[in-house]
Amino acid sequence: MATKFVSQRNIRFLLYEVMQAQRLADWPRFSEYDQESFDMMLDTAHRLSSEVLFPALRELDLEPPRFEDGKVLVRPMVRQFLSQAGEGGWVGATFAYEQGGLQLPVMINTACNFMFCAANYSATAYLGLITGATRLILTFGSEELQETYVPAMLEGRWQGTMALTEPQAGSSLADVAVSAEPTDEGHYLISGQKIFISAGDHDGADNVVHLMLARIKGAPAGVKGISLFVVPKLRPEGGELVSNDLATAGLFHKMGYRGCPIVQLSMGENNDCRGWLVGEPHRGLACMFQMMNEARISVGKAACAVASTAYYASLQYSQERLQGRPLGAKDPAQPQVPLIRHADIKRMLLMQRAVVEGSLSLILQAAWYADLHSHGPEEGREEAFLLLDLLTPVVKSYPSEMGVIATSAAVQILGGYGYTDEFPVEQLYRDMRIHPIHEGTTGIQGMDLLGRKAKMHQGRALKLFVQEVGRDIAAAEGVEALAPQAQRLTVAMGLLRQATEAKMALAAEGELENFLSDATLYLELFGLVAIAWQWLKQGLAAASALEGEPSQAEQDFYNGKLATMRYFFAYELPKAHGLAQRLGEDDGLTVAVQAEHFAD
Amino acid sequence: MNIVVCIKQVPDTESVIKIAGDGKSIDTGDIKWVMNPYDEFGVEEALRIVKDQGGEVTVVGAGPARVVEALRTALAMGADKAVHIQDDDLYGADPIAVAKMLAKAIEPLSPDVVFFGQRAVDDDSGVVSSAVAEYLGMPQLSVITKLEIADGKVKGTRPIEGQTVVLEASLPAVISAQKGLNEPRYASLPGIMKAKKKPLETKTPADLGAERSDFIEIATLNPPPDRAPGKTVEGETAQELAANLAKLLKEEAKVI
Repeated sequence: MATKFVSQRNIRFLLYEVMQAQRLADWPRFSEYDQESFDMMLDTAHRLSSEVLFPALRELDLEPPRFEDGKVLVRPMVRQFLSQAGEGGWVGATFAYEQGGLQLPVMINTACNFMFCAANYSATAYLGLITGATRLILTFGSEELQETYVPAMLEGRWQGTMALTEPQAGSSLADVAVSAEPTDEGHYLISGQKIFISAGDHDGADNVVHLMLARIKGAPAGVKGISLFVVPKLRPEGGELVSNDLATAGLFHKMGYRGCPIVQLSMGENNDCRGWLVGEPHRGLACMFQMMNEARISVGKAACAVASTAYYASLQYSQERLQGRPLGAKDPAQPQVPLIRHADIKRMLLMQRAVVEGSLSLILQAAWYADLHSHGPEEGREEAFLLLDLLTPVVKSYPSEMGVIATSAAVQILGGYGYTDEFPVEQLYRDMRIHPIHEGTTGIQGMDLLGRKAKMHQGRALKLFVQEVGRDIAAAEGVEALAPQAQRLTVAMGLLRQATEAKMALAAEGELENFLSDATLYLELFGLVAIAWQWLKQGLAAASALEGEPSQAEQDFYNGKLATMRYFFAYELPKAHGLAQRLGEDDGLTVAVQAEHFAD
Repeated sequence: MNIVVCIKQVPDTESVIKIAGDGKSIDTGDIKWVMNPYDEFGVEEALRIVKDQGGEVTVVGAGPARVVEALRTALAMGADKAVHIQDDDLYGADPIAVAKMLAKAIEPLSPDVVFFGQRAVDDDSGVVSSAVAEYLGMPQLSVITKLEIADGKVKGTRPIEGQTVVLEASLPAVISAQKGLNEPRYASLPGIMKAKKKPLETKTPADLGAERSDFIEIATLNPPPDRAPGKTVEGETAQELAANLAKLLKEEAKVI
């Protein structure tokens, strides 16, 4: 059975050699840290991952949550892990000291959490939801809400959720209908239904605290009438927890990611479900988007993590499984060779590695911008924010979409065995499929990128991105081993610029439907360019390291990096040409096709 | 209760071990080092005793500068202070030489209990704890999976072939911990931050007034033999397959 799910060497390469995470310790916010303490945290995260989370990967898939007598029952390891995460300080690791946190840089926390996700995404999702909800209360909630809810959440005893979706309002949040009626007692009475609420109810926590979108009675229609509330399952009253008239109506059975329940909630059946306003009335979506942006980056990280686990499972199998002989070998008496000796298998391994390590690099780049924006030198903060905002849909979507293809390649390498539950890759393939869907589908991300992010501040974020990439291209042009890749990235950046200009021209003409109809393709093109950039950065670090005199094992590592970089530029980046061709055409094909054309 | 826990830093069992050019030691270039897993049971037990009965936990380790990482891990788990005996040549040395150094460092700490792991997973010698007990003139309870300390006495249980033996001694005593004694905790993030500020004293063998006394040296290290390839049992029918399997088990594997 596979035992490896992440490469600790690669994580350190990305953190210290590519991103220079050591620099973080120079900023006042992180002054108590140094590389040794970062390393100890990475080591601890890896131990928790390999000793607590990874052994339960299959268990959570085989024994998903059950709904019995109105209760959602999950495996005991969920409570155990949440308690360990609370005691270990993982829930609020990045929060300020005065908020009960440890001021850990987002970048280091991201690397740690990546290992958790790779070991067991379902279990880690519970933790991520507590962290996101707690941060929201700390940022926008009243002092009273903070005192009431935050301590138990930081200890991993109370679950947090983000409760947005309703039966009639999924991607379309403007249609949120759960209502909130003001009372004289400081709270609102909540009524309505929510669906698809992850970790929305379970017996691994003592309480569930929903961060819920609802519409105050009489509020304007659309997104400008949505407010954010804390709606607990049990509300503290007179020193004890009492029922808050919030019932779990049912549980959905999912394709993958089965260890974390996704529930339907019913509020106010007895007209006694109380909610407390977070932030200003009608400003709920703006608040929620803080959690949402964080959640989108987390989805990219989780997708990359699941692909990592599948990659190592298929890599190990390809090294052990003897099958076939070299193409020139005709003698059947000759022993068979391991799968990894075949070029097409190596292609699939390189593809997975290129997706996993390219995505992780981009995710850590985004984490770097998050740290820089919040705690870096004053002069770089605004630019970091714009770059993070621009890249968020890419960080969410590239690993999710390509992760599906990468885990599919892992199944393919195992052949018939990969399709059975004797090996973990079929589960990972199912676990992966949620990621292009939740926290904003790929379609939504495409529209966000092209319709908002590429245009915002007169295209300033996009210009900054072009500058960032340009700097690394310039550096790579001076390195012999990287010059061809630098050249290819320059061409691809040109394709992205042309596609952007063509689409913006449509927008200027007021052709809104036509402008956004291929936004998903634009996102895909952007993803290819962004990942190529990250591979060029990795190439720079690897080429520079090889100039020293590393040990044989280290030489293999760096040469493997360069090989994977060359793979990406030779096999993946050329897809940009096809995408750019379509993006340059303005016939509005999908807009013109009528629903009736699908009649039969 | 004043408790000392001795810690050895060993290669992570996931590291690929290569024998160095001299044929007597391992190539330490690309190795990831960790605290010996059996020592973790000692640290955990010490922390639990101190939590119940009060006192202080000091961790002691010997070897090159990198050993500090293992000591810091123990501090991050909750130990109070650390002593590092810095000597580059001590890794792979005669266990008796190591024991002598440790005893010199432990003696001035006047501990009530000294914990060891029952053996280190790298060289499997299992000698150091007994030798330290001898040098310190303390009784030793070895390979212990259950421990009680009360009224100046220690009672420990050792499993033997499905039975148990219960040993008793008066304090101070040396205990070597076996798997099953407890579930060691993970270092917490706040623990890691605090560990940096806890006292860590570095001493050389000269500071301790200890002289190296090696009685044995490693003659050679041999890698394990390559794993023999598997064998497919041949046969047309179930009976034939079973008969051939039985034959192989009897004649080749010699297990039946």
